[in-house]
Amino acid sequence: MKAMIIDDEPPARRELRRLLADFPWVEIVGEAGNIEQAAGLVESLTPDLLFLDIQMPGGSGFDLLTRLEHVPAVIFTTAHDEHAVRAFEVDALDYLLKPIDPARLAEALTRVKSAHAERTRRPDDVLEQIFVRDGTRCWFVPLREVRLLSSEGNYIRLSWGKTQPLLGRALAALERRLDPNRFFRANRQQIINLDFIENVELGLSGRLHAQLRDGPEVEISRRQARLFKLKMSI
Amino acid sequence: MHDASLPAQHTRSQQLYWIYQSVGWGVYTVVRIVGAVTVFGLPWIKVTLELVTLSAVGLGLSHALRHYVQRHHWNALSIPQLTKRIAVAGFILGAPLGIATQLTDVAALQDLAPVLRQYAPGLSIYLSVPIQYVHQIVNWALLYMLWMAIYFTAVGLREYRSARLTQSELVRALQLAELRLLKSQLNPHFLFNALNTVRSLIADNPSRAQSAVTRLANTLRYTLSSRHDELATFAQELDIVTDYLELESMRFEDRLRIEKNVPANAASVHIPVMLLQTLVENAIKHGIAEVPSGGLLRISAVLENQMLKVEIENPRPPAPILAAGEGVGLRNARDRLRLLFGTRATLDLDLSKPTVATARLHVPQQR
Repeated sequence: MKAMIIDDEPPARRELRRLLADFPWVEIVGEAGNIEQAAGLVESLTPDLLFLDIQMPGGSGFDLLTRLEHVPAVIFTTAHDEHAVRAFEVDALDYLLKPIDPARLAEALTRVKSAHAERTRRPDDVLEQIFVRDGTRCWFVPLREVRLLSSEGNYIRLSWGKTQPLLGRALAALERRLDPNRFFRANRQQIINLDFIENVELGLSGRLHAQLRDGPEVEISRRQARLFKLKMSI
Repeated sequence: MHDASLPAQHTRSQQLYWIYQSVGWGVYTVVRIVGAVTVFGLPWIKVTLELVTLSAVGLGLSHALRHYVQRHHWNALSIPQLTKRIAVAGFILGAPLGIATQLTDVAALQDLAPVLRQYAPGLSIYLSVPIQYVHQIVNWALLYMLWMAIYFTAVGLREYRSARLTQSELVRALQLAELRLLKSQLNPHFLFNALNTVRSLIADNPSRAQSAVTRLANTLRYTLSSRHDELATFAQELDIVTDYLELESMRFEDRLRIEKNVPANAASVHIPVMLLQTLVENAIKHGIAEVPSGGLLRISAVLENQMLKVEIENPRPPAPILAAGEGVGLRNARDRLRLLFGTRATLDLDLSKPTVATARLHVPQQR
């Protein structure tokens, strides 16, 4: 597994490197001291796992994640950021308090490893999850759980469970990275998750109306309706 | 303070007041009716009517009295002052009721006429009639004095209890504030990062790790032993800041450069304890730690016109991220300076330059 260490303090990076020597299956492919540097390296080295400090100069660890297109698994490392750590709602990620307890590190790595193995092998350019921050709350959102993506100017509104977080990206850019077997462009503003379609009704002048589970009814434009029928072979 | 501050408490005490009023006057009236009918054999309908009317007026007047004493804050008076007022008020309220009572049948309940006939048989009617009126008035006046004694006892007890509660709340708030202060002085973020650095140095450079532990111990001891209202010499403060900066430069490595320019004659000037430390911590936290390339932290001092002038300079991030609670340290430092030196000491943060922040501290040489 390829891992990257992102921390602004060199001794902290060295210490983590030393601790990780006990886990030969973790290969450290790179290090960064600030998020600017980190953003570029993550995109080029495509690590599977990030060890990410929260407080860093020029932007926090959270800021880095919102900038990344492809977010790998993350283990946060922090000395004392109770508030930041508490902001998390997801169990999908882990955090370690510095100085890092080797036993806690082993636990966290075991969790990452099993999650990594579970994940079906996919082509690298398909997004599995995205990191979203809305106000003070942060989530790792698994894309397969998102039923609808709606364009709102330069932002995307995700319909995910009971929440509707806003993502700071354009819909067209994200569309290229979505799994084409799961997501379908319904109209100029919206992309729907095919797994969430409950039923489809014929509308006026060749349009279709798709009813999403727990979600709104989405209109499929005339042009897209033809593609939709082909795809679903109806 | 007689009006309880909480609405719920207020309605509760209001309810209690009416319960006491109605029970008190009710029992008083019933006992008098029963006495008048059984002992004196008076006609019960007339007696009941008269006594109920008198008691109703009595209750009304006592309620008006309560309004009056609340408006004029009688509860804040000393005991002798209060006693005098209670006596006067008793007679003022007792007079109309006493006269009214003497004009009714129920005057017989405390009739002085037989007594006067027995002990002063020759008393002229011009004297015996006024004496009977005065007797009725005194009776009512005593009743009102008793009423006020009960009322002020109840109010006093309530105030005593709420004062005790307020005091225990104050003690609790004070303890919490002290705890928070201690926690902020300990600076957990620095402490755990320093420990992490030490852990790393143990493998990298054992002798540096040893020195780091000593410096960390010095810093902690100084923090824990210093009190909020104490003074320290500039030299003492500079020593602890040196230890602190040494630890921080192990952590930040080449991102932190330090320059100190302090003349020997500044060493003995007294400044508030931990003040220089606070300013340097701020320079690290909001300066060096926020700038990816780090920079120069400069501490300089001069002694000029019997005034110690200290400057702490640090690089600024291009767009400062305002963390919650920023500025609290600076405000606390100013408050302490004012307490210890009045207006002769000043502390300013100069943010006029885009890339450099400068904190300026002026403290008089003699306190």
